Amino acid sequence: MKQQAFATNSISESIVAFAQFSRAHGLNVGIGETIAAFEGLDQLPLENELQLKFLLKPLFCNSPEDRMLFEGLYKLFWDSNPIDLNGKNQTKIAGAKKKKKSSSLVMLGLGNNEGAKEEAKEISGANEAESLRKTDFSKLSDIESKQLEEIAEKLFKEMALRLRRRMKESRHIGKLNLRRTIRRSINTGGEPINLFFKAQKPKRQRLILMLDVSGSMDKYSLFLLRFVFELRNYFRQLEAFIFSTSLIRISEAVAYGQMDATVEALGIQVNNWSSGTKIGECLKDFNEKYGKRILNGSPTFIILSDGLDTGEPEVLAKEMKTIQGKVRKLVWLNPLIAMSGYEPIQRGMKAALPSIDDFRTAHNLDSLLALEKILNDV
Amino acid sequence: MPLKAKDLKDTESLLKELEKLEYVADEELAISVFLLLKLHKPVLLEGPPGIGKTELALVLSKLLDTKLIRLQCYEGLDINAAVYEWNYQKQLLAIKLIENEKGSLGEKEKTIFGEDYLMKRPLLQAISETQKAPVLLIDEIDRSDEEFEAFLLELLSSFQISIPELGTITATQKPYVILTSNRTRELSDALKRRCLYQWIDYPDLAKEMAIVKRKMPAIEDKLLAQITQAVQKLRKLKLAKTPGVSETIDWAQAILALGHRELNAKTISQTLGNVLKTIDDLDAVKGNYLEELLEK
Repeated sequence: MKQQAFATNSISESIVAFAQFSRAHGLNVGIGETIAAFEGLDQLPLENELQLKFLLKPLFCNSPEDRMLFEGLYKLFWDSNPIDLNGKNQTKIAGAKKKKKSSSLVMLGLGNNEGAKEEAKEISGANEAESLRKTDFSKLSDIESKQLEEIAEKLFKEMALRLRRRMKESRHIGKLNLRRTIRRSINTGGEPINLFFKAQKPKRQRLILMLDVSGSMDKYSLFLLRFVFELRNYFRQLEAFIFSTSLIRISEAVAYGQMDATVEALGIQVNNWSSGTKIGECLKDFNEKYGKRILNGSPTFIILSDGLDTGEPEVLAKEMKTIQGKVRKLVWLNPLIAMSGYEPIQRGMKAALPSIDDFRTAHNLDSLLALEKILNDV
Repeated sequence: MPLKAKDLKDTESLLKELEKLEYVADEELAISVFLLLKLHKPVLLEGPPGIGKTELALVLSKLLDTKLIRLQCYEGLDINAAVYEWNYQKQLLAIKLIENEKGSLGEKEKTIFGEDYLMKRPLLQAISETQKAPVLLIDEIDRSDEEFEAFLLELLSSFQISIPELGTITATQKPYVILTSNRTRELSDALKRRCLYQWIDYPDLAKEMAIVKRKMPAIEDKLLAQITQAVQKLRKLKLAKTPGVSETIDWAQAILALGHRELNAKTISQTLGNVLKTIDDLDAVKGNYLEELLEK
């Protein structure tokens, strides 16, 4: 394979080689794109080199990340210096193979060991992925946590899609299907004797999530946050809050899919609030500020917290009771449940327990995916 | 004198024509538009809101002096709203009327499932245009469901739509298709591969000044510079809704309409609602950044 433009004999050959080169480095370029490039060249008399780049770029790229990668590849390929592009150096191009920046690492300040991570990625196999899914989030090394993030992203997406599809197969009787009814009514002289219905797409219900982002929880919250971002297209209304000593509403950021920005903001706050969690006060704050507006139409309410509360247990118990009275289901996810010998006997947890409908763990990826069942009933 | 796609020779003349219609583009975008006109390859424009994605389609239809057919996407958009629907009431009446006429069932069916009873929605309109190729704008495709995206594939690659009762309808005049997306969700690869992908970002200071100047030739240079600089600064802040170019233009128009000739703390607090659209942003900026906006 010709690896750089100067090694080829004609512009057409260069473009074909460049398409191969781009494909080898992770751009989604097929024969269709190459043909389109030639069709384009046929129409557009090139005046300068920049035009060629602008012609190929929209054909070869499919996202802003692709565009950044393309810049690097283009420069390298059309450069006249011979570079050894075979062998190990291939993946050194910034952004190649791995396109998205890993938000958890940025958040934890662990972003700078690219080499080690790449290596880890190459050797990981299916079994490792399997065992990663069962590993407690807090026990993950930074390399593993990055790998798991990739797996999680894929699985969450699949799950969201599954939830959507299941909706479509519902057998509820809904609106009259006029098209079909009329078509069949021709047989009976236009009298619509047999009525046909459209299955109604059930309304997606509402979900409220509260994430504890105090120090000990941040790895857990991050994965659940990712989970929340995947779910946003599925629910009619999704309200998300983060809390430690005070409460912040992140529903808008979620609706706009600003995952990175949220994590960044979250990271700053985590550092600011290393003091203890005040779950009770936060829930009170929630009830006062948002309760009337959000707690109607019986939504499902999920709290993710380890329940290590430093506030007054009476407040927590009272607020939990208020919430439980207004929601369809109150779920508390506590990553500590998975620890052997754990019992919900801390002050806070004990106070909250009577109002909880479903008390379960969320310490690894599999336990998060098991939430699908709850969400399906929402 | 409308432009004809086949007369277009190079991107330079295209850029000039666009500029005449008050649209400032760069060469990269111009090449994609050029290929859209020449090869009928759909263009997918992605980028933050308010930076002229939709505007491009409007300008293009003016440039070619052709119809603009717009499909605004939303969640739950289905084929009945996007492609076609039978006129049921008319069909029912027709069935009653032809009930006693002679003729086989097949013939009768053909009558009531004919063109007369078909209500064309934007996509079908776009491919059944016979006079002049229209511009088809599929706006905010990221709002529609994935199923709808899959449906678009047939249309985008071969410009045809299959209707069970009528058969396949193929475009005689292939429309120029522009899709826009705010990237609130990732579009499918299949869709993207059928399109020329363009990412449009917020313009830099010089380009933004040029755009506003194009729209409002009467504006004084000093005020123009102050406004655009302030907006560029606003974009760097962490706001809930980052202002786009259309906000800049709105703002400039508001300030001019009020008769101000320069930007100061008073003008800003009077008119900031044109740029920032949430109360949190307004409070944050008024409280903390007013001075900063006015600095050179």
